[in-house]
Amino acid sequence: MTDGVTIAQTDLLCVNCAGQCVFTPETGTLTCQRCASEHSIWVDPDADPSAEQHYHPDLPHTEQPRFTRDRPYQCQTCGGEVVFLGHSLSESCPYCEGALIEKAHTESYEALGVIPFVVGDDLAQINAQTWVDGRWAAPSNLGAVVAQCRVAGIYVPFWTFDSVEAVKYTVRYKVQRGKRTLTRTVSDSMRTEFDDLLAPASPHVTPLIRDGILHDFDPGNLRPFEPAYLAGFAAEFHHQSVKEGLRHNDSDKRLLLRNRIKKHSGKSNIVDVSYVTDTTGIKYRRILLPVWILHYTYQGKPMKVVTCGLRGRTFGERPFSTLKLFGFAALMASAVAGFGFVWGASGIF
Amino acid sequence: MFFAVGPVLAALFLIVTAAGFGLYPIKKLIQVQEAKHELKHGSAGFLRTMSGWIVIAIWCAATWFAATIIGDWWATGDLSGAVGRSWRRLELILRILAALSDD
Repeated sequence: MTDGVTIAQTDLLCVNCAGQCVFTPETGTLTCQRCASEHSIWVDPDADPSAEQHYHPDLPHTEQPRFTRDRPYQCQTCGGEVVFLGHSLSESCPYCEGALIEKAHTESYEALGVIPFVVGDDLAQINAQTWVDGRWAAPSNLGAVVAQCRVAGIYVPFWTFDSVEAVKYTVRYKVQRGKRTLTRTVSDSMRTEFDDLLAPASPHVTPLIRDGILHDFDPGNLRPFEPAYLAGFAAEFHHQSVKEGLRHNDSDKRLLLRNRIKKHSGKSNIVDVSYVTDTTGIKYRRILLPVWILHYTYQGKPMKVVTCGLRGRTFGERPFSTLKLFGFAALMASAVAGFGFVWGASGIF
Repeated sequence: MFFAVGPVLAALFLIVTAAGFGLYPIKKLIQVQEAKHELKHGSAGFLRTMSGWIVIAIWCAATWFAATIIGDWWATGDLSGAVGRSWRRLELILRILAALSDD
């Protein structure tokens, strides 16, 4: 421990040769980089990482500590100085390449769960390249630009939120009566639940990318926070308090709620939805999920392609080629105009 | 009539103009296609990406409507008559777009 930083390092060394170990996704073990021996990772069998915490806004444990300063640490293997910057949770020593994992700061991190990487970097690189190569109307040199970049594995902080919503709503919808269009309203109430709504707690993963790479989340795959899973990967603390996480997730929740109200009302041609909801039973998890991120810059604009470290699903940001868009638009306009031309020439009406 | 230059030039002008205005609708179409195949259905990101697809329908409808007038003009050689006959089609297409936008 140095300057208040508690680090897992010596317990990540190989028991056979004292070499540096890193987590290997394909085997789920710690692998020594010197003698290649594999070591299984021990986890507390009594720990329940899928347990959810009740959210109480008044309790201090729901607030995260603020990391306002960098945290220096002296490597116990080589003596070099390593600095944990900002929200960084995992580093490697620049001198001996040893994995350094920052342990819990406060009690608030005891519930932290993690799903370890399953997909390795080679597959992630292929998936990212395949995703980029499969984009329609992408610039011709995009594949070559991305091919020069390399994926980096990072454990990204996420929240899962549960809540129960008692909703009273009013829906305005249109009906056709002869040649007249009338607007009607219907009011009703419903009770609906959100279960394990995933919310990213880091700018590395946007909500759109989350919906592209995380189609299914199984809390049963969560493991207790164990530094060995992070060895060799970057990782971050949560950037937000629970309250901030809930606020960031609010727009997603409101959108989903409006969609559920539309379905519940059973009406079509809906023009407006208004509602009030009483939210109770908020529960949360503070977890880390594995992603491979490929950062690239196209015409000065930074973009990223993200591959899920669990199943390899890939999504990201991409540029469009204006020339190709124009070509596609011209083709489609020709088809539509041709249809219209024939329609008009035939004198149907 | 069949070799009328006016309607042919008008059709070419329409395609080029529609292609120019079609940059955003085509981009939206690609994003919608990607969302349908790659985003989790029913998720917030999916719903956000799918919303606004009406711009594609408006662009197609406007192109189709203008082309029907040119087609009518080409067949009859009467531009003012073709414009006059297009009002029924315009009414139909506005009704369709109104129904689509409600959904």
